[in-house]
Amino acid sequence: MTALPTGTAKRRTPRNRGGGWIGKVMFHALMLGIAAIFLLPFWWMLISAFKNNADIFSLDITWWPDPVRWENVVALFTRPDFPFLRQFGNSVFYAGMVTLGTVLSCSVAAYSFACLRWKGRDAVFALTIGTLLIPAIVTFLPTYIVFARMGLVGTYWPLIAPAFLGEAFYIFMMRQFFLGVPRELIDAARLDGAAEFRIFWQIVLPQAQTALVVVALFSIVYTWHEFFGPLIYLNDRNDYPLSVGLFTFRTQRAVEWPITMMGSLFTALPLIVMFLFTRRLFREGLATSSLK
Amino acid sequence: MGNVTLRGVRKLFGSLEVIKGVDLTVTDGELVVFVGPSGCGKSTLLRMIAGLEDVDYGDVLINGIDVTDMAPARRGVAMVFQNYALYPHMNAYDNMAYGLRRAGLRRAEVDPRVRRAAGMLQIDHLLDRRPKAMSGGQRQRVAIGRAIVRDPKVFLFDEPLSNLDAALRIETRAQIAALHRELRATMIFVTHDQVEAMTLADRIVVLNAGRIEQIGTPREVYHNPANIFVAGFIGAPAMNLIPARIAARAGHAFLLRLGDVVEPVELKGDFGGSTGDIVTLGVRPEQVRVSEDGQPAEVVLAEHLGGETILHLRLAERPLILRVQGDLNVALGAQVPVTLDLGGASLFDAAGTSLRRASSG
Repeated sequence: MTALPTGTAKRRTPRNRGGGWIGKVMFHALMLGIAAIFLLPFWWMLISAFKNNADIFSLDITWWPDPVRWENVVALFTRPDFPFLRQFGNSVFYAGMVTLGTVLSCSVAAYSFACLRWKGRDAVFALTIGTLLIPAIVTFLPTYIVFARMGLVGTYWPLIAPAFLGEAFYIFMMRQFFLGVPRELIDAARLDGAAEFRIFWQIVLPQAQTALVVVALFSIVYTWHEFFGPLIYLNDRNDYPLSVGLFTFRTQRAVEWPITMMGSLFTALPLIVMFLFTRRLFREGLATSSLK
Repeated sequence: MGNVTLRGVRKLFGSLEVIKGVDLTVTDGELVVFVGPSGCGKSTLLRMIAGLEDVDYGDVLINGIDVTDMAPARRGVAMVFQNYALYPHMNAYDNMAYGLRRAGLRRAEVDPRVRRAAGMLQIDHLLDRRPKAMSGGQRQRVAIGRAIVRDPKVFLFDEPLSNLDAALRIETRAQIAALHRELRATMIFVTHDQVEAMTLADRIVVLNAGRIEQIGTPREVYHNPANIFVAGFIGAPAMNLIPARIAARAGHAFLLRLGDVVEPVELKGDFGGSTGDIVTLGVRPEQVRVSEDGQPAEVVLAEHLGGETILHLRLAERPLILRVQGDLNVALGAQVPVTLDLGGASLFDAAGTSLRRASSG
């Protein structure tokens, strides 16, 4: 065992790589300032949800609700003219189905582009990526006509079914990830007698958990906020997801800001909680997708 | 077990031909090593035997059955990869059992086979561990176990020792040799490491640019290289290749002109070549000796390996490598008198092909 140096020897202090303490204070102050700019609207939503209209519009701005009006929470869930719980359920169903469809279809397509060899593969991939250049609004009308002729307007089919047909951006992301899966793993599975779908499902997909989480989170967040599609395809207030439900409630009840804010708070909350639980996987997934 | 026959096998990647017509028979129970420089096609050839690469021309036969268009899993081969290729989300047991389960074997059949293979490789205690909780050597043993449990006709090893450190490489190499003796299995082993090739092989197949340069036992390939490529590739340090001209010959006795000097040489073996031919003389580093009555050569570099010393010399403006036993203490730039022991030398014609006649040893 090596003995520690004794006597007059003095351990060197690590070199300071981050500048002096003044620099650190300024850096952190700047970071806190920027964070505050982003957090302020959220904080305003939070405190407004627990105020009444008079407090919200009072010229004497208060940064903490006094009194805290808990009855707003009860009102949100019990008002007959705002089926919040039902619309919350619609949002969960809508985001869940779109995410399921996106993850399944995009991972299958990405596996094919990354791990299988077939004639014209690269051309088809280029074409798939090319669809990113077409604005969604261009294809919106013809798509609407197709669904209208099929008699599916007023249902969730037009909103969910396209997700099961893949989405170029997510296909690209997952393909990048699959390219990093060692080719020998697939070869080994092939020698072990696994058929192509089994290789995808049992060998490759378990390696891509972080990529799946990233795609799922992107898809959930996007669908949770999606406004235009549900607004066009759905007609009944009871069918609306929260994104459209909140909007229609606000336009119809323009003066009731506390309930609108409480609704917004409960709309944002699931995403925040979800991100907190998955942030490690999310960060890893983003890093790996961009590195490969 | 199994024998493997390749008949006129060719492989193209786009318009680039990477395997240019290979004919080879590996007999039952033989351990054949494919060796060659990077990009020579040795791994591609192995993958073609496994069925992981398509064969563009020619046939692959295992036990006389044409398997060219057969799925990899149905060929009765098992492969060990350089990077182990263990399924990261499965433990060692499941990694080894996966192929058997795919083949439809029941648990009662799978379990004893996995445990027997684990016992052979002394990895019983690792069966519950996932690959990331194992060392490189342990992972490679599990990968070998995965091949053993399938009881294949042919084992294919694709540079399985390359990712291991020096000590583990020697240990695992010995383990593979022992496994070959124990299982009496047909094995094809790909490596770019000639020490592995020399120590493991019953026969070595030297490949270069998609062609077979020579097939032979390690001794044949070392002592009687078929051409200058094999002479230069097999052996470390490489064979000294000295340009010469046949000044005269009578039977095995040659008069060779090496630069300004004419050397009488009695070559072992039956060589072709006529008076006046330009040839290349191949001399192994251990056939160059330090001798008081030799020609002086300048020391350019001395590599002290402990048990032996390798001297890089300059003799008559040409490089020459010498290997001597023990720790020879010489200064750079010093003159060392050397003689060439040309009795066991090789002789190549102007095209680089050995002039040794086939019947001679």
